[in-house]
Amino acid sequence: MPQESKMPALPEITKDLTIPKLFYRIAQKYGRDKVAMREKEFGIWRPITWHDYLENVKYLTLGMVRLGLRKGDKVAMIGDNRPEGLWAEMAALCAGGVAVWLFQDCLVDEIQYIIDHSDTRFLFGEGQEEVDKSISIFDGCPKLERVIWDDPKGMRNYDQDYLMSLKELQRLGRELDKKEPGLFEEMINKGRGDDIALLFYTSGTTGRPKGALLSHWNMLTMGKNLMSLDPCFETDDFVSYLPFAWIGEQMMSVSCGLQVGFTINFPEEPETAQENIREIGPHVMFAPPRLYEQMTRTVQVKYLDSTWIKKKIYELAKSIGYHVADLKFQKKPIPWYWKCLRWLAYISMQKKLKDHLGLSRIRYAYTGGAAMGPDHFRFFHAMGVNLKQIYGQTEIAGISVVHRDGDIKFDTVGTPIPGTEVKITEDGEIISRSDSVFQGYYKNPEATAKTLKDGWLYSGDRGFIDEDNHLVVFDRSKDVMTLSDGRPFSPQYLETRLKFSPYIKDAWVIGDKRDYVTAVMCIDYSVVGKWADENKLSYTSYPELSQKPEVYDLVEKQIRNANKDLPEVARVRKFVNLYKEFDADDDVLTRTSKLRRAFVEKRYGEIVDALYLDSNVVHIDTTITYEDGRKSHIKTDLHIQEVRD
Amino acid sequence: MSAKFLPCGVYHEDYKHDHAFWQTKFVKGKMILLFLLTFVFIPMSAGSYWLSVCNQIGYTVLCALGVQLLIGYTGLITLGHAAFVAVGAYTSTLLVLQFHWPQFFLDWGLAYPFSIIVAGLTAGLWSVLFGLPSAKVKGFYLILTTMAAQFITVDFILTQYVSQIGGRGQAFSLPPGTIKIGPWIIDDEVKVYYLMAVLVTLMVFALANLVRSRPGRAWIAIRDNDISAEVMGINIVWYKLLAFFVAGFMAGIAGAFWVSNTAALSPEHFTWSWSLWLVGVILIGGVGSVDGIIFGSIFMVLVMELLQMATIYLGDFFPQLMMKFLYVKESAFGLAICAFLIYEPRGLSYRWWQIKNYFNLWPFSY
Repeated sequence: MPQESKMPALPEITKDLTIPKLFYRIAQKYGRDKVAMREKEFGIWRPITWHDYLENVKYLTLGMVRLGLRKGDKVAMIGDNRPEGLWAEMAALCAGGVAVWLFQDCLVDEIQYIIDHSDTRFLFGEGQEEVDKSISIFDGCPKLERVIWDDPKGMRNYDQDYLMSLKELQRLGRELDKKEPGLFEEMINKGRGDDIALLFYTSGTTGRPKGALLSHWNMLTMGKNLMSLDPCFETDDFVSYLPFAWIGEQMMSVSCGLQVGFTINFPEEPETAQENIREIGPHVMFAPPRLYEQMTRTVQVKYLDSTWIKKKIYELAKSIGYHVADLKFQKKPIPWYWKCLRWLAYISMQKKLKDHLGLSRIRYAYTGGAAMGPDHFRFFHAMGVNLKQIYGQTEIAGISVVHRDGDIKFDTVGTPIPGTEVKITEDGEIISRSDSVFQGYYKNPEATAKTLKDGWLYSGDRGFIDEDNHLVVFDRSKDVMTLSDGRPFSPQYLETRLKFSPYIKDAWVIGDKRDYVTAVMCIDYSVVGKWADENKLSYTSYPELSQKPEVYDLVEKQIRNANKDLPEVARVRKFVNLYKEFDADDDVLTRTSKLRRAFVEKRYGEIVDALYLDSNVVHIDTTITYEDGRKSHIKTDLHIQEVRD
Repeated sequence: MSAKFLPCGVYHEDYKHDHAFWQTKFVKGKMILLFLLTFVFIPMSAGSYWLSVCNQIGYTVLCALGVQLLIGYTGLITLGHAAFVAVGAYTSTLLVLQFHWPQFFLDWGLAYPFSIIVAGLTAGLWSVLFGLPSAKVKGFYLILTTMAAQFITVDFILTQYVSQIGGRGQAFSLPPGTIKIGPWIIDDEVKVYYLMAVLVTLMVFALANLVRSRPGRAWIAIRDNDISAEVMGINIVWYKLLAFFVAGFMAGIAGAFWVSNTAALSPEHFTWSWSLWLVGVILIGGVGSVDGIIFGSIFMVLVMELLQMATIYLGDFFPQLMMKFLYVKESAFGLAICAFLIYEPRGLSYRWWQIKNYFNLWPFSY
């Protein structure tokens, strides 16, 4: 438990406080003495002090004001995580505007829908790619006035008059500042805590995105409540690499970051994020389960390729780690000899392993947004990483429920954070109430009325509260499915178990109202590819590799492993290897990589049907769309294999 | 394999720190230990025999620095480096013995330190003279011109003319007390050791820094492909001659140091086989690596000493060893070198890197 003396002095959150006011205060306090953010560029972590941060935001704000931004206007941002993106967001807030973030990999019609629906007037794009997207939607969004870019690469020959560079905008701001000094401070002071700060389009496992309105008060109380449990410090480092359009990233970078003033680090490129995290060694991180699953997979693959002596030491240290972690989970005291062994395991293996993963300095690692399997959970705790499940939604400005230190249960998401009430309705729906509950959906009173009743937020998730007061959340659609004879099983649990194998990237378990459980598997191309190389299998592409009989046997072995200690009813009986990985661009995953069951079922209906027929082959004739809009026609036969016992 | 392995949480906000040699506390700690070992532990505990072995190692390092610069960093193969060491040694000796210094200069002990620097400069210029053909010729032809440096300098000029200066015949000897730095008279092994340790530290630092500077990058570019380097705008003649000058300068310093150890000087100290030996040192240590010079020198000197000890010890039991098989030591050494080139072709520094990597990647292999 954190001691009182170690708690950082957090600012008091009042209805008068806004994010810009807090930002201004903290930037004045630290000035040139402390680094607000770093961006890796040309091999070094280029520092940006709070003073630089304030200056940049100030002139951006004034620039937008000069172009006619008024209080309450929407400003959208798209692009990779980078300082300029956060400056633009902060500038929009300083001017009394509302910030809207878009996912970097959004398709053009999604962007058009959000820009148009949100009445965005200014769009900040990173570089040529975003500018091209904005040009193609410009005519479809009559309210959009300006598109601002910051990366000049490839921008020389664009002459649209609505395009403008970030520098140019700041120049306008500087001119205005000379004319009306003090305007910036005046605008910040006008803000009130109940003003809308952010408009968040929720990815949603169903239907069109809805825009959730969050006020300054919502954001700040959320951060404060979280940090009253898990304090952050001004000396902390945080790596910002997940999309800002995800509430989790906003919650860490803005809600928490501004209150304590820790340093935000931006990776060089999205591709180098993992490497850059290792360099920085963040103190806090929050990521969807997929990232932790990826880390586990990397470790397992590297372990397989290691030498004998290293393997043995790894195995020994790991089993010690597992034993100690299990004792902790059961809240039993750890005997002194196990403590000694744990120390040995730490110096001989865990320390280096954490170093490789960039987790050396981690104090809290959060996962949320989707379920994570117990195997992964145990894996990280066995390594000594304090991994905690959290639960929340965009509508409550981030999170509402979290595991306490030393009180971890895999199948729960923990207990509510201070200032938050969580209840279960008679129908089993999770509802919560706190200062952070959102202000409603933008231009969607019906949805608002459905979600927000008497100050209670209706999540649409089902769950219950267990004997330790932990909240247990079921999957959004249905966590427990039943076979045709009425016996229940949990597809999500099965999927997380299957995904613990390094060879399997994704799994989709089917069986609702059917006779038995089946699964559609996506192999991990790089890991299985490497395995195929070692076993002298030749292949040219993902579809070909996935259909090799040897690969089928490999996958079957993984399934058999996962089946091992499951009740008869929940075992996967038949499976098929899909010819491609699940991708958010096909609408089968959300942008935060949650499986959208309704969509997969619709999309791969013929496979589902074939799995429950006697045939052992399913013919596929379909078109797939790539991220850049290219289409390709696929005609293939998928083999269906039974899992032998 | 080139990037430095840094632990998680070590990062840099500017290039100055990014390029620092010692970036972590662990490495700094290692370096402090190495410093204590070199400057405190060894001179305090080693006897005069082992000190003389250390001095031999240090001399080898000083000589091999220039060879590494020429072969390992600039790609100019040299087989005449002993000549430049000789020029340094003779310059220093002549300056100390023959030059008519004002008395105060001698009293203050400035003659020898001054002669070290002049020795370096003279050897450097002499080296440039023999580096001139490198503007025109490469490969085997350059090897021949460097060998010419060896024979012209040592066997002809030094033996026939320079050695005759002062009318002492073939050898110079430096009377006790002539070699002093300030009030510090260098007259025993420990003092020579300290002089060696300081010079080696300075020179290794100088080379390590040079090869990561602008000239260093130019040299490496020339080594990797001289035509590409020229296309990139590197003045290859200028940089090749600069490499010869720096290599010669370092050889001159080595020669001037050697005088303090032997207190006598004759051309036999600088034979062609010594030039060849120095190339062996960097081949075994690792071509193109500063650590390699040190590893190679330690290995070559120690193996020689151990073989010597073994021969003397075994000589009690097998007297023929001393009589009939006089060259068994040299043969064993030759065998060791052959084995080395077969099983460790990239040198000791590569092996050192692999050992470090083994633990850096723990518990994985990549």
